[in-house]
Amino acid sequence: MKQYRTHMLVCAGTGCVAAGSFKIKTALEKEIAKRKLQNEVAVISTGCNGFCERGPIVVVQPDGVFYQKLKAEDIPLLVEEHLLKGRPVKKLLYVPPAEAKPVPKMMDIGFFKHQRLIVLKNRGRIDPENIDEYIAFEGYQALEKALTEMTPEEIIREVKSAGLRGRGGAGFPTGRKWEICSKIPGNSKYVVCNADEGDPGAFMDRSILEADPHAVLEGMIIGARAIGATQGFIYVRTEYPLALHRIRIAIKQAEEYGLLGSDILGTGFDFSIEVKRGAGAFVSGEETSLLAAIEGKIGIPKQRPPYPVQKGLWKKPTNINNVETWANVPHIILRGAEWYSEIGTEGSKGTKIFSLVGKINNTGLVEVPMGITMKDIIYEIGGGIPNNKKIKAVQTGGPSGGCIPKRLLDLTIDYESLKQAGSMMGSGGMIVMDEDTCMVDVAKYFMNFLRDESCGKCLSCREGTQRIWEILDNITKGRGVAGDIGLLEELAAATKDASMCGLGQTAANPVLSTLKYFKDEYEAHIKYKKCPAAVCKQIISSPCQHTCPIDTEAPQYIAYIAHGQFDKAYDIILKDNPLLNVCARVCHHPCETKCRAGQGGKPIEIRALKRAAIEYSNGKKHISKKKQPTGAKIAIIGSGPSGLMAGYALANKGYAPTIFEALPVAGGMLAVGIPEYRLPQKALEEDIKRIVRAGVEIKTDQKLGRDFSIGQLLKQGYRAIYAAIGAHKSIKLGIPKEEMSGVIPAMEFLTKISLGEKIDVGGRVGVIGGGNSAVDAARVANRLPGVKKVTIIYRRTRNEMPAYAEEIECALEEGIDIQFLTAPTEIAVDDGYITGVKCTKMELGAVDESGRRRPIPIKGSEFVVELDTLISAISEQPDISFLGDDHDFEISGWNTFVVDRETLATNVPGVFAGGDAVRGPSSVIEAMADGKKAAEAIDQYLRRKEIEFEYSVTRPSVYVEPVKLTIKETLESTRQEPRKLETKKRSNNFQEVDLGLSKTAAVKEARRCLRCDLEVKEQDEKERR
Amino acid sequence: MINFILNGLEVQSEEGSTILDACKFYGIEIPTLCYYEGLSPYGGCRLCLVEIGNAENSRLVSSCTYPIEEGLIVRTNTKKVVSARKMMIELLLSICPQSKTIQDLASKFHVTSVRFPVRHEDCVLCGRCVRMCKEQMQGGAIGFTARGNKKKIETPFNIKSDECRLCGGCIYVCPACQLRCQGPDAPTDVCSGCLALEPTCIQTHDDYQCWMGTTGDCGTCEGRPDQTKKIDKR
Repeated sequence: MKQYRTHMLVCAGTGCVAAGSFKIKTALEKEIAKRKLQNEVAVISTGCNGFCERGPIVVVQPDGVFYQKLKAEDIPLLVEEHLLKGRPVKKLLYVPPAEAKPVPKMMDIGFFKHQRLIVLKNRGRIDPENIDEYIAFEGYQALEKALTEMTPEEIIREVKSAGLRGRGGAGFPTGRKWEICSKIPGNSKYVVCNADEGDPGAFMDRSILEADPHAVLEGMIIGARAIGATQGFIYVRTEYPLALHRIRIAIKQAEEYGLLGSDILGTGFDFSIEVKRGAGAFVSGEETSLLAAIEGKIGIPKQRPPYPVQKGLWKKPTNINNVETWANVPHIILRGAEWYSEIGTEGSKGTKIFSLVGKINNTGLVEVPMGITMKDIIYEIGGGIPNNKKIKAVQTGGPSGGCIPKRLLDLTIDYESLKQAGSMMGSGGMIVMDEDTCMVDVAKYFMNFLRDESCGKCLSCREGTQRIWEILDNITKGRGVAGDIGLLEELAAATKDASMCGLGQTAANPVLSTLKYFKDEYEAHIKYKKCPAAVCKQIISSPCQHTCPIDTEAPQYIAYIAHGQFDKAYDIILKDNPLLNVCARVCHHPCETKCRAGQGGKPIEIRALKRAAIEYSNGKKHISKKKQPTGAKIAIIGSGPSGLMAGYALANKGYAPTIFEALPVAGGMLAVGIPEYRLPQKALEEDIKRIVRAGVEIKTDQKLGRDFSIGQLLKQGYRAIYAAIGAHKSIKLGIPKEEMSGVIPAMEFLTKISLGEKIDVGGRVGVIGGGNSAVDAARVANRLPGVKKVTIIYRRTRNEMPAYAEEIECALEEGIDIQFLTAPTEIAVDDGYITGVKCTKMELGAVDESGRRRPIPIKGSEFVVELDTLISAISEQPDISFLGDDHDFEISGWNTFVVDRETLATNVPGVFAGGDAVRGPSSVIEAMADGKKAAEAIDQYLRRKEIEFEYSVTRPSVYVEPVKLTIKETLESTRQEPRKLETKKRSNNFQEVDLGLSKTAAVKEARRCLRCDLEVKEQDEKERR
Repeated sequence: MINFILNGLEVQSEEGSTILDACKFYGIEIPTLCYYEGLSPYGGCRLCLVEIGNAENSRLVSSCTYPIEEGLIVRTNTKKVVSARKMMIELLLSICPQSKTIQDLASKFHVTSVRFPVRHEDCVLCGRCVRMCKEQMQGGAIGFTARGNKKKIETPFNIKSDECRLCGGCIYVCPACQLRCQGPDAPTDVCSGCLALEPTCIQTHDDYQCWMGTTGDCGTCEGRPDQTKKIDKR
């Protein structure tokens, strides 16, 4: 072999080829020739590297440097910098997600570092179309040992004691299967390699065949020797042209070298292998179907017994194993069963290859030792979930498998534990799912696959999968009825028990497993007509409207803005939302997190457009004349968003609501929690005025417990009570000396500032916490005269801070220092007053159940942050001191009211509760949704005592005509962001920071909307016909 | 002779017989549909299921295809068998309620409702016609095509077959071609179930009081639950 100083290994697995790796190879060869390096640098194309997310990939050896996502234009720079000047090109290296520095060496990258390559040891290292390279890396040495030094019985014994189990899915002990087959008398026996790999999303076998085909051949020859077979077949699905191409070349080369055919290695052993192609049926992966297909018959499973090892191909003993199983064999023979059985767990030895796909940062092919936890695969190797989304479940085993929910991520990967959890190992497909995945839709997807792929012989499988699919289809279209879940379970049991082959027997697994762990999603779809992931189109219409807790018809008001009709847009908003000025400024816009334009692009500025509709319409003059309340008296405690919304809704229904507010101003958190620069008092007052004119009475300075009690209200003739007292009490830090002067709870701080009361704040202010109240307190403190420096102390990283991202950004803009990974341990005092806070630095440890890495203190890293004032803002709870000692209410461990989830009724008849008082610190819009629901519940309660809500699928009240965009506009449109007050203009005042969109920008942004609602409108019309 | 255990009894059968053969010999009733005396067994309708093996590792197999083995433990009416059987009948009803064969199975095995949208097709893919044509009539004109929910029985490429001699054997054995009676409750998915009914009039009269035997029009039959049950249509 010619010696080169450097090898450029270009990944040529199907994934990278599709991304253009052959072009990269040509570009490399050209450039290298241009620079006259062709005698020093070799360019070799190898099989799949596994890190398919990052293709095209080039690995430089012997440096071990890993280049990814290459384009042909990058090559001249790469050759110049790395090959001539010896400097790896930084911008072409891999940067782990959420980090800044690139990792140049392949073996330092988390994805590769934590894998254990045995079967895939040659991947990305050799040219799979060159047998010499395979031989150079110990290739065919195991074969030599097996044929010349071992008897067939010894080979079987070795494979048995290694504990190798079938990698195709069922996990039957391979050695035992070989033993049974070998003991059956007869001269004609067969070995078969199952390379049908029908599971959607699985490409393990494809990668092995493309990267290292000789490994499979070697395993098969050894197996044939052990069993006494003379002919072998490799059944490859037609959909793998590259794998077919490479295995055929490998066979030819092996034959040329005397490793296949007659008298192998001169030992007198004859064995040849033929390649058979599949014809596009998932069921032919089932062993009896596969054998029928090889025989030229239609691929339909046969009853077992007789098993293939007894009567297989042409009724002769046949041993079938999966590609990965065969590829394990040479390693067991070469290194011994003892070495092999040290890897893995007690019941599952060796390694397993998984195709890690779905919502994961590092999509690709991984080989890991059995016994590794699911968590390590997802986070250490997989790099976690992209876009900061929360993981929901991991699907393993393909259509025959099931889901492992996020709370079981500590599961160790082995055959038994996966089965116990209701899933199975399967062939190794691993699909990661996040909060945007609908589990009912997943079950439907797999069912659709199975009803198509069922061979159709057994009534239970053919009709079972069809009927299960029909029910799931109905559920995802909002047509589910009570009883569906029971029927699904019955059908699933029947399909499972009554079917003859593995396909039918496992066909119900997707449904059974999703029902086991995600029954609430099914119930949401069936009873409440809600798809929490906002996927099922016929239920959600548009994801923004569906996700909005108060059902705001966003696509319609956005469409009106696109047409320039701001008045009509305003009407749509006002229809459902009396607190529109508030929401247009402070709503945390859950709609935008599900916006389809945001998938692969930037979401529409739904909130900013709401503000634009208000600002550029004449609608605000719409405030109606004050109505006189006529109906029953209802008492509402708390004038926050929840109470205000409830009051408005009740007044519109004809009731006479009175809101009792403890503070001197109305608005609750809106008035005293959210600072002026986010929500100007004027905007809030406009909305409150509207609510009052609708017929709501607000009495301020009325504190529950001090000025009145719930019992008194009932005696005074209030027919129902809605307790919306919010969560205004900051909880304690729980560190020594926090009672000292100078330590202020965040809510007290914010409230006093809002009410204009005096408060002592020193020059250096610290804030403990990472939520919205912490950032609000910090930004407020930063604006006070006399405050020189504000520091936020948070125990985790920026990525994990629960405060809204836009708030954190503004805080940093305004010069606030955020100390991440820092936790307070004790208040530093001198003379009874605070001088600072003792802190310790934290580092991120293992991932906990929430999917976040738990911070652990770094020993010896204690330091003091010097402060004059410390604000504690770690969380809030409702202040239930008014309840006294003997009350009837059911209260949770977090001091919140316990209520019926559907009706918001407390256990005391006539008293309802909602908002933060029930949820703990939550959001404005969710509090408003509770207020709306409570009003409905109270109305039903008063009219007929039985509260029963009817639920329907989401639809807008009107469809606005879409605007027509030119292609140019579509390609060029970008997200229009609202203007912000310049940072330097924000110091020492409370001027509003968000200045909104200009009129033209608003129209432009509105025209970007994808109008998801129109697709469903079309479906509805089609169904009606 | 092979010894095995059938419903707790130690029995014997000839080598080569199936569980169904043995059950028939010993008088144990097993419902069948795709099985037809004289034709090879198919094992597709999944009605003849029995539970084999001991309780922890038991599984259901089609008795018409499963060969008896020495020491095999067979139980024909376990809870699992009965509920699988009833679901199979319910599925059959939802495909082809107009078949008398299927309606008789329903009434015999107490299937009284169909919870799936009824398709009113005229084929349940039992394959009797295929086997009749090929094995008995030496024709081989029809066979299964496609797979899964698109599976059909037709001539190759669905064109007129030169092999078909119009013998009518396929129609003769077809369960869907044996139409149900048009008696009371004719349009319902589950018929009145003449098989399952025991009129009480015979206790007070010398003969049955209605010529159909079972309509209850005379009013002496005790309240029949299936006559008042309305089918869940969706």
